[in-house]
Amino acid sequence: MEGSRQQKKQAARVPLWLFRIAALVVIMAMFFPPANPGRISEKINESASLFTTGISYGTITNSMGRILRSQWIRNSDITMLMVACCVVMAGIILCATGACMSLGNRKMCRRGLVLPLIGAPVMGAGLYLIHRTYTAMMAHGGETGKLDTIKIILPGGFTVFCVFAGILLASALLAFLMTEKETNPEARMEMDEKYRLFLMMLPVLLLAFVFCYLPIWGWRFAFFDYTPGGNVGPENYVGFKWFNFLFNDPANARDLVRVLRNTLVMSGLGIATSWLPIAFAVLLAEVRSTKFQRFVQTFTTIPNFISWVLVYAIAICIFSTDGFINSFLTNVLHQTGANTNYLQIADHTWLKMLLWGTWKGIGWSAIVYIAGIAGIDQQLYEAARVDGANRFRCIWHITIPGLMPTYMVMLLMSIGGILSNGMEQYLVFSNAMNKDVIEVLDLYVYNIGIGQNQISLSTVVGVSKSLIGIILLFTANGISKAIRGESII
Amino acid sequence: MKKKEKAEALHIRRSKGDWVFDIALIVFFCLFTFICIFPFYYLLINTISDNDLVTSGRVNFYPLVKSTGGEAVFGAHFSNYTALRNVQDLGSSVIVTVSRTLIGTALMVLVSAWAGYLVTKQKMWKRSFWYRFLVVTMYFNAGLVPWYMNMLMMGLTDNFLAYIIPGLVAPYNIILVKTYIESIPASLEESAVIDGASTVTVWRKIILPLSIPILATIAIFGAVGNWNSFQDSLLLMNNRPDLYTLQHRLYIYLNSSSNLGAMMSQGGTISEQAAQSMLNQRVIQYTVSMVSIIPILLVYPFMQRYFVKGIMLGAVKG
Repeated sequence: MEGSRQQKKQAARVPLWLFRIAALVVIMAMFFPPANPGRISEKINESASLFTTGISYGTITNSMGRILRSQWIRNSDITMLMVACCVVMAGIILCATGACMSLGNRKMCRRGLVLPLIGAPVMGAGLYLIHRTYTAMMAHGGETGKLDTIKIILPGGFTVFCVFAGILLASALLAFLMTEKETNPEARMEMDEKYRLFLMMLPVLLLAFVFCYLPIWGWRFAFFDYTPGGNVGPENYVGFKWFNFLFNDPANARDLVRVLRNTLVMSGLGIATSWLPIAFAVLLAEVRSTKFQRFVQTFTTIPNFISWVLVYAIAICIFSTDGFINSFLTNVLHQTGANTNYLQIADHTWLKMLLWGTWKGIGWSAIVYIAGIAGIDQQLYEAARVDGANRFRCIWHITIPGLMPTYMVMLLMSIGGILSNGMEQYLVFSNAMNKDVIEVLDLYVYNIGIGQNQISLSTVVGVSKSLIGIILLFTANGISKAIRGESII
Repeated sequence: MKKKEKAEALHIRRSKGDWVFDIALIVFFCLFTFICIFPFYYLLINTISDNDLVTSGRVNFYPLVKSTGGEAVFGAHFSNYTALRNVQDLGSSVIVTVSRTLIGTALMVLVSAWAGYLVTKQKMWKRSFWYRFLVVTMYFNAGLVPWYMNMLMMGLTDNFLAYIIPGLVAPYNIILVKTYIESIPASLEESAVIDGASTVTVWRKIILPLSIPILATIAIFGAVGNWNSFQDSLLLMNNRPDLYTLQHRLYIYLNSSSNLGAMMSQGGTISEQAAQSMLNQRVIQYTVSMVSIIPILLVYPFMQRYFVKGIMLGAVKG
């Protein structure tokens, strides 16, 4: 008796896991535009997922202005479509809840498995409604004779969802029949703690997946001839054309070399001056008055907390034609004709960017070293003094070696991020004069991708950058492991 | 105190070189602090000086206004700030920025506290895998354009939710909270569990109150980040200028050669208005900048307490 029960429990596992996986896939597909079962006209926004179709009238209709105005597609049909999508989603949510509950003990599992028995038919009903809308639109299109314009189709996602509704229903039914009824009437719905904790975490994980991992799906644009609003399909698959275009086309290659030079020079300058915060911290620690130390620390950190746009506003205020420098030259030094707009001069752009970065960041970067100095054992200094070491020897032989581990981490991190200097600073400071020397990789991607709508090309740049970034990070990590025996990530 | 005395004892034999070095240090740091602070001060005095004198470059070290005789004298006026209400589109940006700062920060803190607590639970199914799943996102991103296409796919363009939802999961903050919670004695939690408290109750009644310092830290940094946000507005809100954030709006003002000032000048003939508006252009830019700096300067004293805590905890890897 006991043995056969065990066997049955084992056998029930297969449909159970099938059901859970199907539920997870369907939940994901809900947010996945290519699988949208509700895109029954090609005029419906290609980037609308089932979820968006269900809740956002504006997204569905944003490219069918004329069609709606002339009523080639009736508003009532759109509303019908939205309702149908919401019904499908309700079914999916029931199934997903069931899948979560199926992780519980036997009683909870059985209760949970009832939900998809309702949910899957609800999904089916929603899909049927979508199909009805499809037929209604088709018929209406036939009446108005505009079938060619409104392009009614039955999307691939429709079939996918039908199949999944079937799988969900079948696997849940099978699992339900194979799990025995709880014989103990006192038993309560319970779930193993490990699954309960996991389910509590699941929403956070899904959010992270959607916003941090799902963008990788966008890498496919690198292999297609994509124009905004267009399709991605076999008909415009171009393989490595864009990679070739980027690296072999002379004009692009020249651009890329220029941008890489800017990026590497500016990152390189940043790395070459990365010891400045240490110097700042060490020197500040040498000041005897703690009040003065705190005063300096307070005010040198402020610039770190304002945005680059505000830094640019400050730059205008100091360096523009009517800024501080010019009025100082005029009023105090009585120079005539001082009206240079220093921001428009392209000379030494790299150095200027470095200086702005230093102005903004040095006080903040020094904090970690100041804390590090406070953590160094005072006895070391006392012992050194007794041995006759002076201040500079103390700094050189105690303070600096004490800060080295922290510095190494910072240095390796900045080597890992050598290609990503961010775009905000360079975007706000760029102008017609300096745009050749200020354009770093991130800004370049923005300019060609968002500015010139070359999605595919800029994706190629982005993909290459991400991959190189990973390699650099792992290299830096490897170096760190080899030298310090500790990983930085 | 004792430490200081000790230090004094050690420094008892100060050479001449030491004195020179000390003085040089003080001078250097005074200069450096001045460089950090003066631009803010200069921005401020430009907004409260007479607009004529500002544009003709007369203001240098202290605010100036015109006396009745037309002379430039020390003084201040605040009409630029009151005139900001006539500046088009500024109101909506302020509302958007304030609401995203409040809502976004509050939700981000809650999610971080929740996730940070859960990842300390060794019993969770595949805990270390999921934790790494979160941490990896700090070091890796798919790139700007794929991210943008993803947001487009999610329907999060031209949508206020785009400011809130992607910011909910902040891996770095989750690590900070996790590290902090791990330092809370486990016995507190255990005793509550023995008394029958559920996971949620433990989180709400024990973990949340005890981790207030770290939550305050991430709240303040999150709020500053939200307030300074510029890139998401620039990328995602192309068709909805009413959803631009304050920084984005300021960026537009800073780059516009159009007569922003026209919004502020009223009355007078058309040519007078034109002259007036040319003159006001800069001053509006300065005043809007000042308005977006002020909140940061206001929370700054509170932030300072948490600086070291935030930075040092982050250095301890999770």
